[in-house]
Amino acid sequence: MTVEVFDLRPVLAPLVSFACAGLVLLLGSSARWRAAGSLAAAGIKFAIVWSMLPGSLAGQVYGFTFGEILPGLSIEFRVDALGLFFALVSSTLWVMTTLYALAYMRGSHSLRRFFGFFALCVSTTVGIAFAGNLFTLFVFYELLALFTYPLLIHGEDLAARRAGRKYLVYTLMGGGLILAGLVLLQFTAGTLSLAEAGILDPATDRRVLLTLFVLLVAGFGVKAAIMPLHAWLPAAMVAPTPVSALLHAVAAVKAGSFGLLRVIYNIFGVDLLGELGYGVWLSALAGFTIIAASLVALRQERLKARLAWSTVSQLSYITLAATLLAPAAALAAVLHIANQAFAKITMFFVAGAIERSTGRTGISELSGIGWRMPWTMTAFTVAALSFMGVPLLAGFVTKWYLALGALRSGYGGYVALLAVSGLLNAAYWLPIVYRAFFRPGDDEMSEAREAPWMLLGPILVCTGYVLLLGIGAQAPAMPFSLAESAARFAFGLEVPP
Amino acid sequence: MSRWSHWLPLVALVPVVGGALVPVLFRRHGRAAYAWTVVVAASTTLVAVMLMQRLSVEGPFSYAAGGWLAPYGIELRFDRIAAITIPFSLIAGLAMVFSRAYAERAVDPARVPFYYALLLINLGGVNGFLITGDLFNLFVFVEIFSVSAYALVATARGPVPGLAALQYLLFGAVSSLLVLFAVGVVFAHTGSLNLEDAAGRMDFSKPMPVALALGGFAIGFAVKAALFPVHLWLPDAHAAAPAPVSAILSALVVKTGVVGMLRTFELFAGAEAMLSTLFTLLIWLGALGALGGAVMAFVQRDIKLMLAYSTVTNIGYVFIGLGLANLNAAGGAGVHVVNHAVIKTTLFLAVGAVIHRTGLRDIDDLRGLSRRMPLTAFALAFGLMALAGIPPTAGFVGKWQIALGALEAGRPGLMAVVIIGGVLVLAYGIRVINAMYFRAPASVRVLGADEAPASMWLPVLILAAGCLALGLAGRMTVDFAMMAMRSVYPP
Repeated sequence: MTVEVFDLRPVLAPLVSFACAGLVLLLGSSARWRAAGSLAAAGIKFAIVWSMLPGSLAGQVYGFTFGEILPGLSIEFRVDALGLFFALVSSTLWVMTTLYALAYMRGSHSLRRFFGFFALCVSTTVGIAFAGNLFTLFVFYELLALFTYPLLIHGEDLAARRAGRKYLVYTLMGGGLILAGLVLLQFTAGTLSLAEAGILDPATDRRVLLTLFVLLVAGFGVKAAIMPLHAWLPAAMVAPTPVSALLHAVAAVKAGSFGLLRVIYNIFGVDLLGELGYGVWLSALAGFTIIAASLVALRQERLKARLAWSTVSQLSYITLAATLLAPAAALAAVLHIANQAFAKITMFFVAGAIERSTGRTGISELSGIGWRMPWTMTAFTVAALSFMGVPLLAGFVTKWYLALGALRSGYGGYVALLAVSGLLNAAYWLPIVYRAFFRPGDDEMSEAREAPWMLLGPILVCTGYVLLLGIGAQAPAMPFSLAESAARFAFGLEVPP
Repeated sequence: MSRWSHWLPLVALVPVVGGALVPVLFRRHGRAAYAWTVVVAASTTLVAVMLMQRLSVEGPFSYAAGGWLAPYGIELRFDRIAAITIPFSLIAGLAMVFSRAYAERAVDPARVPFYYALLLINLGGVNGFLITGDLFNLFVFVEIFSVSAYALVATARGPVPGLAALQYLLFGAVSSLLVLFAVGVVFAHTGSLNLEDAAGRMDFSKPMPVALALGGFAIGFAVKAALFPVHLWLPDAHAAAPAPVSAILSALVVKTGVVGMLRTFELFAGAEAMLSTLFTLLIWLGALGALGGAVMAFVQRDIKLMLAYSTVTNIGYVFIGLGLANLNAAGGAGVHVVNHAVIKTTLFLAVGAVIHRTGLRDIDDLRGLSRRMPLTAFALAFGLMALAGIPPTAGFVGKWQIALGALEAGRPGLMAVVIIGGVLVLAYGIRVINAMYFRAPASVRVLGADEAPASMWLPVLILAAGCLALGLAGRMTVDFAMMAMRSVYPP
């Protein structure tokens, strides 16, 4: 059914932002050129990635292989449904975030470095998405970890450096674990290909399989913020808001989740993993993370901190969905990459816009802001409702399929967990909405103005996507069918789940 | 006999003779000595490349000095292990190019011609050591590169380099004596000094002389290679020497210990029990050195000391690879010998450029350096990434192969050692990068510094490019190294 096609676009997509980064880092001392270059690269990449959608929906798999750089290790790009889905999300959001960042970062220091590394991060994210084997994925994954660092400590103050150190300790450990897993995998399976639905021989020694699972899951789990490996993420909120938005809500953390999906669906394969039963433990851990992180989020006073903890909780939805090993749940896992991304980036954009307009970061200071910044706070409300799982919004689609998958795989208890999580989401998002619209603001608040259009535009577009992903998921040319074909591939099904 | 037949000795003779001529011809002309040195180094590299060309056509070949055939005459032999002469000559050449401005400040002007002479003689010693086919000349070349290395450490100004050189000399002299002792034992035991011939005549029914010879070679070369725990001379010597000398010591001289072991192991192929004990020992010491060196590097404030300890770490990796004694691991070790040489030279030379411009070597003092010396800072940062083994840089190749070999040998703990070492290296590398890129300048000397002259940044950037190229060409180098190791580790 799938046709492998040799194509240059899988290489061009990461290369565009790489070239952009080079230009910005070398020549970008003029603000105008920097902006033009960043936007042009974002646009070109957006076009390249989307141009692969029709072909991919028709069952084509675009690929490009460089020679082996070590015996058995090649740099290989391969655009399958899952990878394209992730790339679509990150390249779409890159356009939005670039626009937003140009406005938000105006007047900050070291902007050349900022936009250069920003482009590098996106480049590596798409590299991760299009990686055709686990080695290529690992290379880009490590580079992403390093390229995020200068963005994270952009503030260059003590808090930023502390957070940066924490981030590095966690990600370096994670990288080391993945590398160990890679060596073991290469040794046992003799290949690192991501083109199959499982490359491990079921007859392999169980201890080896368990070690592999623990190494790879713990390694990617750092970025996917599975408790107890999550502590770097809330600390990373010292970064400028566009960075938190794109990297710590979407690109970097999703790279971890994406790695987990690859490990589960392409390395182990659902059949072998179901037989081994390791998924049960991981789903229990993910379930725990969903609830525990929500409880912590309840107690956060700073808006960005609450967003961060909510991210920790939401990322585990993907892990949970993937480990249930049911086709419907797999669909939820893939879809949630997009659903969470658009809703969470909306919220981050809103948090940044509020900070730019009023200088406020605490939740208790937001009384009455809904009437001063109506568009912004409406967008926030839509995103919050999506997280709670209100029908017709993106979050509902995830929960629906996740619940379906949980029931089909015989773990009905997780449906209750989803309900509790929805309630908790309501408990920490609705008070903000209530405060914004129904509490009178102080005097200073009456002087606050709606955010400028360069901040507001991306917010509204992302909100639009949240609605679109909820209402029109099945519409033609929406990535929904891409997620479907990813799930079909993982389970070897001919019909949609 | 092709027309290349007399080229083999030139790879050692050109630099030795060229070096000896420097003080004769250019005693009062430092600049002329520099030009001469660079030309001689370039010619040496050229000779090595020609030899390599012949190797790829004919396979390993020998040269009988004066027409006296082995085992009676002196035999020089160019095999795949000896092919390291190419990268080594190139690295030494780049370090010499770098010396132009550096030596003027770091070395007493009256000693500058001697400095260049010693550099060339050292290179000649190393190259000769790599191509020698008999045990006595092995010892002669050991002494040539060792003695020139002690003297090179002492060429730096100030009281510390002299003491460091003396310490180095004491360790080095003992190790050279042990090698000589082992050579004597082998000669007494077999009546032959030719490596191949002696290997055939070894009588393994008498364990005593075999054990003595093996022990002498192993300990002697372990000291040269700075294997833990006989690495004690290395940190001081490498940190005190002028930067190009540190680079050459770390890249070339230390590696001769590794090659020395490989060469002499061939003698003991029949003593399997002894060799396997030695391999186990090498693995343990290598692992301890790798982790201990990484931890020591992590706590250093002086950037040159940090790099010196990192050499101990990397030598540890190499010995883990050799001790595992399978083709994957040994091939990885062989590649790492060269790749580490390129990486470490990049780093030492970049640090040398920093010291040349600012006089600072404390990591905390390097804050804000990237604004004033962008090229040097970039090369230093990139070199540190390569040292940590971020794929696809040069440092990754050897570590990956050694880790694979560890699994093949059923010792996953060693894979963990290699990976943990890499993570530690990255951790201290990032400390330096943090200081250079993300902190405001703390020292006036950084604020007043300019980018290093082209004679400095050009070799540094060429080497940095090499750090990437060797990583991308990993497949080629690994295949070559595995072939080279076949003679030592039969599959």
